[in-house]
Amino acid sequence: MADSFYKSLDVGKDVVGTRTLLHEAIPLTGTIVSGTYGTNNIKNYAHGMFQSVYDYPYLSSSANHIFDITVGVGANSALTPVTQLSKKLNIYNQMAQVLVGYDAAGSVLQFDEDGDILAGGNKLDNVIFLNFSRLLTKDELKKGTFQLDLGVTPLYAEDGTVFADRLRITDASGSDGYLVNSPVGDYGILYATQSSPASTPPVLAANQSYPVGLLYYQAGVAVLSSSIFLTAGDGGILNNSFHNVSMSGPTSTSETINAVLTGSVITGSADNLRTRMYNLQFNNTVELNSSIYFCRVNHNEFNYSTNPTYLSESKIRVKTQASDQPVSYITTVGLYGDNNELYATAKLSEPLKKSSDTEFTIRVRLDY
Amino acid sequence: MAFLDNSGDIILDAVLTDLGRKTLSKGDGSFQITKFALGDEEINYSLYNKSHASGSSYYDIEILQTPILEAFTNNASSMKSNLVSYESLNLLYLPIIKLNQASVSTSMHVSGAFMVAVDSATGGGNSTSAGIPTTAVAYNNDTLVQGFLLGDSLSGGNHIRFDQGLDTTEISPSQGLSADLVEDAYIVQMDNRFGKLVTTDGVNISPDYLDDDNIAFYTVDRADGVVDNGENTNDGSQTIKGPRGTMFTFKIKASLDLMTSTYLFTQLGGTTTMLQNDAVTSRSVRYIDAMIRVTGVKTGYSFDIPVRYIKSVV
Repeated sequence: MADSFYKSLDVGKDVVGTRTLLHEAIPLTGTIVSGTYGTNNIKNYAHGMFQSVYDYPYLSSSANHIFDITVGVGANSALTPVTQLSKKLNIYNQMAQVLVGYDAAGSVLQFDEDGDILAGGNKLDNVIFLNFSRLLTKDELKKGTFQLDLGVTPLYAEDGTVFADRLRITDASGSDGYLVNSPVGDYGILYATQSSPASTPPVLAANQSYPVGLLYYQAGVAVLSSSIFLTAGDGGILNNSFHNVSMSGPTSTSETINAVLTGSVITGSADNLRTRMYNLQFNNTVELNSSIYFCRVNHNEFNYSTNPTYLSESKIRVKTQASDQPVSYITTVGLYGDNNELYATAKLSEPLKKSSDTEFTIRVRLDY
Repeated sequence: MAFLDNSGDIILDAVLTDLGRKTLSKGDGSFQITKFALGDEEINYSLYNKSHASGSSYYDIEILQTPILEAFTNNASSMKSNLVSYESLNLLYLPIIKLNQASVSTSMHVSGAFMVAVDSATGGGNSTSAGIPTTAVAYNNDTLVQGFLLGDSLSGGNHIRFDQGLDTTEISPSQGLSADLVEDAYIVQMDNRFGKLVTTDGVNISPDYLDDDNIAFYTVDRADGVVDNGENTNDGSQTIKGPRGTMFTFKIKASLDLMTSTYLFTQLGGTTTMLQNDAVTSRSVRYIDAMIRVTGVKTGYSFDIPVRYIKSVV
């Protein structure tokens, strides 16, 4: 008897759910954020709270938003910001309450240099935030893949000469050691090391890795301490004989990051970081949930076709006599609901010959 | 849709259809995939060359080189021809479904489609022959024009009929059709914006479901009027030449939108002229061309019926 053209799936045997983590490499050369398009791909807002970076002039419909830059100054900071004081404080508190959370008394916690909040220790009071777009981070940043190279040549310039001396900031321990005491998921410590080329005097105060920030993997936010642009004598990590990194501030182009955080607007501080970005790269992660349907085609099934060309005056074209083997060709798999609603289709890249001496299991994967 | 890359291993390009996405978005658990079917819509079996000079390995060489299109997301555009299973591997003939136009009342209009007059001005309403308006285009000298269905009143003897069976002269109809080849039910799909399926007595048939594109899917079975075709001779009333299975007759009721509004005609159709009842004067009419698809539930064979919805310009 004809079994119709549908075959039921045994949910217990023929359907299985899987979870797969996919990763993409995201390389962003510094020229995209500070040179190729001038400032046409940099969007500043009237509110002045942050600056958005696009991968193409943002007035174009082809442009994609890739990340935002903003700065924050904590209430306990030694700096006394004059310009946009409340905005810098608000940004710090907003980011801290989302990323670090509250203490038992309901007060917003500060960013902690080593993530050990209970032990106290150094707090990050003057910070730069890089908020990456979900377009880039997808479900999360892959741990252990973040790498940001910053030019720290002391003199301020916009012609690329600041990249002669570079710091490399990575979540070096992220792949095997990360922290989970954040309300927004996993985070790791960002460490700075000297990047090539080697320079004399060395860039860093000591030949070691310095903790310079935090990277929130699921939130897609990097928190950088302003210490990356200061000498050890000024509370930073750079060699004293090197020099503080000169920035374009409200009065000159040879100001320190502290002067910029104090006297410049937020977008001015963002410009200073942007022009120091030599390279940025990380891998993202997409969590793919799939249903796999095993469509089992037995030897005695699907050997005939209802294709209008299959028959000529009701006679099967691929047969000469009744005893010839019936043959059909599979190009499509349709997945149906109970009422024969077509919910999904799958196409084979080439026809698959089906006859009574062959059996197939076609594995159809639907990703969600 | 582009072709799939067929230069390497066989790959499978799978997508949710628009109906699948819609059902999934409901979030009520109704998205349950419970069965599958296989299709071969790109294949042209007439390329199967049983007399290829290089031997049997080359019979299907052209078929196997057929490039395959990417998957369609429109549910109504996919799986138009299916592979089907029969226990017997010795079948040489398979049944088809075919329009029966052996009588005037079941024939298409001379223009090559069934005409559905969507309102009384077009179809003449429930008038008796004595009172049919001169302006009705469904009539010619008070006689219902061949191929015209009255979608408003559902009166008149015209209807659509399709028959199922082996359309071959090599087997006598008296041989009968084996039970596993006889269709007991059919799936009829038609655009719900234009019309609804009704029996020849004018009884509404409920659709199984409406998809996201407003296509209604009806399953008609013996309870809805699918009957065995008991005629075993070729007496001129038959369209299937060999053994016969079942047949089904139906009419189309025009939708309220088409009866009361010209919006869809303006959006999707055009205008033309037809002779009105006086058989002299041409009358301007609006029309929409559409298709009704019939698929056998058991054998999977499907065919399309062309339909033109007509509304007189008042």
